[in-house]
Amino acid sequence: MARLVRAALTHAGRLFGIALAVTLAVGLVSGTFILTDTIASAFQAATVSPNSTSDIVVRATAGFTAQANSLPEREPLPESLLARVAAVPGIQALWPTVQGYAAMIDKAGKSIAPDGLPTIGTSWAPGDVLDAGRAPRPGEVAIDTTTARRYHLHLGDNIRILFQGGEQSFTIAGVLRRSVDVVAATKATFDPDTATHWLGQKGQINAIAVKAQPGSTPAAIRARINAILPPRFEAVTAHQVADEAAQSWTKSLAFLSPALLLLAGVALVVGALLIANTFSILVGQRTRELGLLRALGASPAQLRRLVLAEATAVGLSASLAGIAIGFGAAHGMLALIRGAGLAVPASSVVFRARSALAGVICGVTVTMVAAFLPARRATLVSPVAALNGRETRDDLVRAHRIGPGAAATLTGAVLLAAGSLHALPTIVASAVGAGAILIGLALLLPVLAGPAASLISAPLVRLFGQPASLARQNAVRNPRRTAATAAALMIGIGLVGVIAIVTASMKASATKAVRETLRADLVVMTNGSAGSSGGLPASVAERLRHTPEVGVVSEIRAGQWGLGDATETLLAIDPATVTRMHEVDAASTAAVRRLDDTGVLVRDTVAEHHGWRIGDLVPMTFARTGTRRLPIRGLFSTMAVRTDYVISLESFAANYAQPLTLVVDVKLAKGFTPGTAEANVRKVMSDLPVAKVMDRSQLLASQQAQIDKYLSPVAALLGLSVLIGLLGIANALALSIHERTRELGLLRAVGMARSQLRSMIRCEAVVIAAFGSLLGLGLAVGFGWACVTAVRDLGVTELVLPVGQLGILVGAATAAGLLAAIVPARRAANLQVLDALGDSR
Amino acid sequence: MTMLMTAPQLVESWARIAAEAPAPAARAVDAVKIHGRGNTVVRALDGVTVELEHNRFTAIMGPSGSGKSTLLHCLAGLDTLTSGHVYVGDKDLGDLSERALTRLRRDRLGFIFQAYNLLPTLTAAENITLPLALAGRRADPLWLELVVDVVGLSDRLNHRPSELSGGEQLRVAAARALVSRPEIIFADEPTGSLDSRAGSSLLCFLRRAVDDFGQTIVMVTHDPVAASYADRIVFLADGRVVDEMLEPSVERAVEHMKHLGS
Repeated sequence: MARLVRAALTHAGRLFGIALAVTLAVGLVSGTFILTDTIASAFQAATVSPNSTSDIVVRATAGFTAQANSLPEREPLPESLLARVAAVPGIQALWPTVQGYAAMIDKAGKSIAPDGLPTIGTSWAPGDVLDAGRAPRPGEVAIDTTTARRYHLHLGDNIRILFQGGEQSFTIAGVLRRSVDVVAATKATFDPDTATHWLGQKGQINAIAVKAQPGSTPAAIRARINAILPPRFEAVTAHQVADEAAQSWTKSLAFLSPALLLLAGVALVVGALLIANTFSILVGQRTRELGLLRALGASPAQLRRLVLAEATAVGLSASLAGIAIGFGAAHGMLALIRGAGLAVPASSVVFRARSALAGVICGVTVTMVAAFLPARRATLVSPVAALNGRETRDDLVRAHRIGPGAAATLTGAVLLAAGSLHALPTIVASAVGAGAILIGLALLLPVLAGPAASLISAPLVRLFGQPASLARQNAVRNPRRTAATAAALMIGIGLVGVIAIVTASMKASATKAVRETLRADLVVMTNGSAGSSGGLPASVAERLRHTPEVGVVSEIRAGQWGLGDATETLLAIDPATVTRMHEVDAASTAAVRRLDDTGVLVRDTVAEHHGWRIGDLVPMTFARTGTRRLPIRGLFSTMAVRTDYVISLESFAANYAQPLTLVVDVKLAKGFTPGTAEANVRKVMSDLPVAKVMDRSQLLASQQAQIDKYLSPVAALLGLSVLIGLLGIANALALSIHERTRELGLLRAVGMARSQLRSMIRCEAVVIAAFGSLLGLGLAVGFGWACVTAVRDLGVTELVLPVGQLGILVGAATAAGLLAAIVPARRAANLQVLDALGDSR
Repeated sequence: MTMLMTAPQLVESWARIAAEAPAPAARAVDAVKIHGRGNTVVRALDGVTVELEHNRFTAIMGPSGSGKSTLLHCLAGLDTLTSGHVYVGDKDLGDLSERALTRLRRDRLGFIFQAYNLLPTLTAAENITLPLALAGRRADPLWLELVVDVVGLSDRLNHRPSELSGGEQLRVAAARALVSRPEIIFADEPTGSLDSRAGSSLLCFLRRAVDDFGQTIVMVTHDPVAASYADRIVFLADGRVVDEMLEPSVERAVEHMKHLGS
């Protein structure tokens, strides 16, 4: 057996192509694991930072679990609690901490507000550790080291800081060591008096930090403190606080690993197609060799083991290379995440056995599974037939594939449509439907390959004559191989196409929504993303109200609350003004009119789901005020900003501590020239750089940029599967050239020029690439429709086919087929006629 | 040549043109071909000078390793000499670029190999017209019909090679070699893989191509029976021309080969 395997290794060169495909896919798998581990460990490591000089933290209990990306809002503590905790024995020191909104303005007058995370200010605590400078005194501030470095802020610089109630200039006195015990984008620390003035409310603090006496156990002291605390307050170890923060951070990046693993899965499937292809070609090529082995007494089982052993060797070595690539990929992805503004503490890349194991298992399994069919075929080689050197029989495409193939495809399409239209459970029906379509296509493609290749190559034959016509014959002679090669490309093109369609549809829907429903003249938001946990300070709306050119101001705020175990979000609106800014349908307008300061409005579909009717009570748990039962005042189907629950601004102020505003809508006053009025408003707001004043077209542009920002990286990553698909074409061509060496020699001998030979190979590549791309386009249109239809309720109301983009995608992939043909064509053209003719294979 | 000519006229005019040409169809002058390097040097051709006349059927015979296939490959522009010259007509092949050699093979030479003569994806008819299609030309329908008729393939034209017998495949190859009216057809052990009946039918056809159509054929073989169909046999041994024989018979060829072998 060992001797057989050694013989097989002489084919190693031919396996390079598939090895590369497996390597890329495994790289993605192990890279994802390495990345996930690295992020988790980075935050874990940071939690044990010297910042934790306090041992215990006293705080209010949280009413519900916060969504990813933020810590639950907690009710403040009365200052009087300080003295009661201080009386507990075993405490060396304790100090109050105050925390609130504080946005820094950089030297250019722009606000420092990286996306998606709050900007906070805190009171200086004796436990804080500085990288440089000293603790802030009145008029001074210490800022976090990341922000200092990123925005080139130095000790002694002056910096403006915006608070909820106003702003003040400070001198930077210290740079804080980065800590993760608060989830924030930027952190500014002030002396206790300044902090209480700007951040807190009189007589209230956010938490108490406690340092235990040396020799006493924090756990014991924590228990003692808990014993004297009134209900709804708790003492926890500093370690736990840090852990919670780290978990929240990690959670905010948790979407990454399933998304990346999904991509890796796609890459593996595409890779599997290539592997199956390659092994069937290799087995075909070696018919004579295998026949000889059979004649000499090798059993079918031995041959099967031989092919599978080869697959294992390829899978294993490719996987090992993939793990190395994954290591690099993790570095790259980490840099991308940091570049996107998500702060991940510095940490060396963490490599666990799991990452390697997952990669190797995936790579080897996929290779083995894909090689199984060819291995089985190897055993079916009859020794005599093989030894006679009979030409490898072209795979027969049987007509009986058509029936089941068409049935599976149609059933899948119906299921997918039913799922997207919510006639059946969406996710299950869509997944089963998509699966059935793929199985159906797998059956149909070999049947389609012949006619499709003829159709596609017709213009090529007219252009290039005989070489193109030979290329067509070659593409058709093994329909199953052509189908598998094209399918690999189809999957990549299909996925990228779906993203293109979804992106275009989302943009069109957003545009339509703004054009048709936005009545406000100006919209003011933070320059971070809408819906981020950051927001505008209350002063923004206040200032707008006092601007003469402004007629009506309407604020919208957002907050989290608990419904049972689930965490929900809500919007707070001003019922009197909101419908003047956003047009909603008649029923929803009526509901908004009925909203008072004690009730809640619920989306009609959500109410239906819970079985609620108008007048029913919804148990809403707020961080500050605990669980309250709010009566449903009305049901809506459309709202200014997409949401499921709406309360009034008054009600929001009563239940939330931090009245950060999501958006302020402005209608200009009558009697001013629109142009000058708008210019004046902008001028008034110009020294509040956190607030971005946008007119309709700017709002549209910012929304489109937002959509691009989230979806283009996805498209880019999916591009990887297109790349693997193209690699598959190159591989299939290289192998079939190898297989057809003598044929090429004959062609050259009877007078085919090198250039003709090259154009023959190129035409074959283009035919396969165009076949795959066009199939992918069809898939993209179908699945794109399904995706867009399925999320219609989430506000994607328009289905747009970006014809230009899809055209470019298909054109580019087809043209890339030419690139894939470069190496095989060159190799074929460089064959020496006599060597090729004499090839004894 | 106009389409108004009948097939026999056409053949006749072709034969006349060929016969009147002054220079030999092909010749080798001091042809040397060295394979390998250092200790493993093999002088496959060791100063071969030979002329191959128009309108003749020449066989090149010799034991294995005598250099007969190498000579054929060099004469046909499939291989290059280490030193010396080969000419097709008055063209020195050593002066020709790879591209020009390809065109020469396509337009002026025909080939019949021992095996693997046909493209499996093409029908017999497509295989026959392949060199013309590669040149972007159409086959002369009368000539094509005649050639197909002579090789006896009229009812097999739409079959693919896998559906043809070995003899039929070789006759398709012969028809292909003939259809572009090459100056010379080179045949490399064409009967090597055939039984004697299929072999003799192919050789009869080659003989007829020379006698009736004025074709020039150069055939490499080690089979005295095949060689006996030729007008002339050139004997090679150890890369040199050692003898030649006109109007050969099987017995004389066998005798001669025995002599060479010893």
